[in-house]
Amino acid sequence: MSRNVIPVGPYHPLLEEAEYFTLTVDGETVTDIDLDIGWMHRGHELISERKTFTQSIYLVERICGICSTSHPLACVHAVEDVDNIEIPERAAYIRTLVGELERIHSHLLWFGLAGHFIGYDTLWMWCWKYREPVLQMFEIISGNRNHYGMMRVGGVAQDVDPAKIKELRKLVDTIDKKMLMIAGAAKDDPVLRSRLKGVGVLTNKDAIDYCAVGPTARASGVHTDVRKDEPNDAYGWVDFDEIVLEGGDVYDKFVVRVLETIESSKIVRQCLDKLETVKGPILNNVGEIGIGEGIGRYEAPRGEVFHFIRTDGTNRPIRHKVRAPSYVNIPTFQASCKGIPVTDALITLASVDPCYCCTERAIRIIDKNHDPTRLDLMKLSREKTEQIRREINGG
Amino acid sequence: MGWYNKRLAKSIWVFHMSASPCNKCDIEILDLLTPKYDLERLGIKLVGSVRHADVILLSGVINNKVAPIVKKIYEQAAKPCFVVGVGTCPASGCCFKESHNVDHKREETIPIDLYIPGCPPQPEAMIEGVAKLMGVLNA
Amino acid sequence: MHKKEKFLDKMKNKIGDTIEKKGRLYFEVPNENILEVAGYLFIDMGCRLSTATCMEMYRGIEVLYHFSDDTTGDYFCPRVVMTNRNNPTMNSISPVVKGAEWIEREMAEYWGVTFKGHPRPEPLLTKDHPKGEGLGQPFRIRRQA
Repeated sequence: MSRNVIPVGPYHPLLEEAEYFTLTVDGETVTDIDLDIGWMHRGHELISERKTFTQSIYLVERICGICSTSHPLACVHAVEDVDNIEIPERAAYIRTLVGELERIHSHLLWFGLAGHFIGYDTLWMWCWKYREPVLQMFEIISGNRNHYGMMRVGGVAQDVDPAKIKELRKLVDTIDKKMLMIAGAAKDDPVLRSRLKGVGVLTNKDAIDYCAVGPTARASGVHTDVRKDEPNDAYGWVDFDEIVLEGGDVYDKFVVRVLETIESSKIVRQCLDKLETVKGPILNNVGEIGIGEGIGRYEAPRGEVFHFIRTDGTNRPIRHKVRAPSYVNIPTFQASCKGIPVTDALITLASVDPCYCCTERAIRIIDKNHDPTRLDLMKLSREKTEQIRREINGG
Repeated sequence: MGWYNKRLAKSIWVFHMSASPCNKCDIEILDLLTPKYDLERLGIKLVGSVRHADVILLSGVINNKVAPIVKKIYEQAAKPCFVVGVGTCPASGCCFKESHNVDHKREETIPIDLYIPGCPPQPEAMIEGVAKLMGVLNA
Repeated sequence: MHKKEKFLDKMKNKIGDTIEKKGRLYFEVPNENILEVAGYLFIDMGCRLSTATCMEMYRGIEVLYHFSDDTTGDYFCPRVVMTNRNNPTMNSISPVVKGAEWIEREMAEYWGVTFKGHPRPEPLLTKDHPKGEGLGQPFRIRRQA
């Protein structure tokens, strides 16, 4: 069977993984969408059965590079759930600090991608430039820009140096200023509004049926946020709002992420304040893990990450189940992509913020009236933006 | 082909191929284009088709399902085309070498000319790797 | 807390052994009742399906669903045990819970479980794989505990 190698390329510069989407097109409208995944499948669950609990943390970090704190956090929550292990207070604040910084960096990354897909390359360059202070903060806290290796069962592995907290606060201030600029662009730019509003709508009923999570569900009116439903670590001790909107289109998903980033920097400041006053150990000594089952979860930037561990008294799990949020968000394409024009297909597919390390793709378009064709989805998307811009400026 | 390689080194066009990565190396490669590290001032450009490329940047441990496709794409590239393996995954498989879905020889699928280890490699390390490649081509 | 008690009260004739921990409830369900229990959890109680886990133990192949109650943060986990190892079969809950389609396809591929009533029983991750679908089912090793 021949494969049409992506118009948007699995190997296109900005689309990291390959997924195999088959869009069925009738004229200008998309009528059906089908997926073929498995190109990223590296077999974490099987390898994890041969590793100890601490080695598993190193392994699950590398499931996804963007949500590189979410998977280890959910994994340690699962192991701690087997025996109801407590963690020290200072460790809880450090875990929350790293988790929220990761949320800021991931959302900024997504804004850049969204800008690139609709032709606003300036937005891409600026968002990724203002991501750099976040990566600098990670380097100060943990020593590496990504894959920090900070989580352990019973606490964290490294402490935050109190002398560096002033520098961290200055970096958070830089990020805040730039976030206000992006929020202003979302609110005021007429081209962005008309391009994203009303596109790729996911209704409330569909979001519940497909069990969607994260900003994808919260933009459709579903109240699901692990940080509020089951507050682990320090989430019960800090002050923040849950952002839920009703529209369900791509513009609402954009706004949910903007507001969440602003909430995250509030949480980061509160954690930094507490880390100056709360002293104590950062790691509890954990003996053996008993026989049982444990469920751990965490609110990653894309939704709920779920880990399930079953133990048998030794130092290795006998079953380690991982479910990333994109696994439940990607099937919602079948609901949100029907009936949209082809020019909007790309931004709708990107609006769930798919992390395809959990999947892979390439796009093949089937036109009912012609033979399988290769449409350049990126070019179509940018042409539509240009047209809207001309209408707004000229008319 | 020494004279050809010298011309190539002046402005390398790069094709980024991700074969089952965790995406961190890919994000760091894209970071190289952003204003802080800005590779375009060295003449390096990302292209969308492998036929325009001089260098293929490979990341990820190639799993069994994607291996035939990686091989096909390498054969489609116009030679001479150099392959740079970014990260620890193409070099040694990182932590996935015991996986049931990764058990082929990487060298038989695609021959790699330059390895840049690191998980993920620092952007400065990647720039040094590219500079070494240009040095080799210029020699 | 009262939601858990209400559930146990209503379903006590349909479920078997129960393990109760802080915020978690694991209980066994015979195959003929799983559709009704899943329907009650998803539609009447408004829970969301997180995922499902399949394991092979000495007593049989177990499929464990994970339903999350977002208002309280609790988990309800019905478990179905299939003792026929050569041809494990059970009812699919996809007609009621659309979000279960993908995970049941993956379990069918790697453990050989047949889900009766599934709308699209095809492999998910190893379709057209050069080494064959299911990759030889590497998870089929019996475990204890």
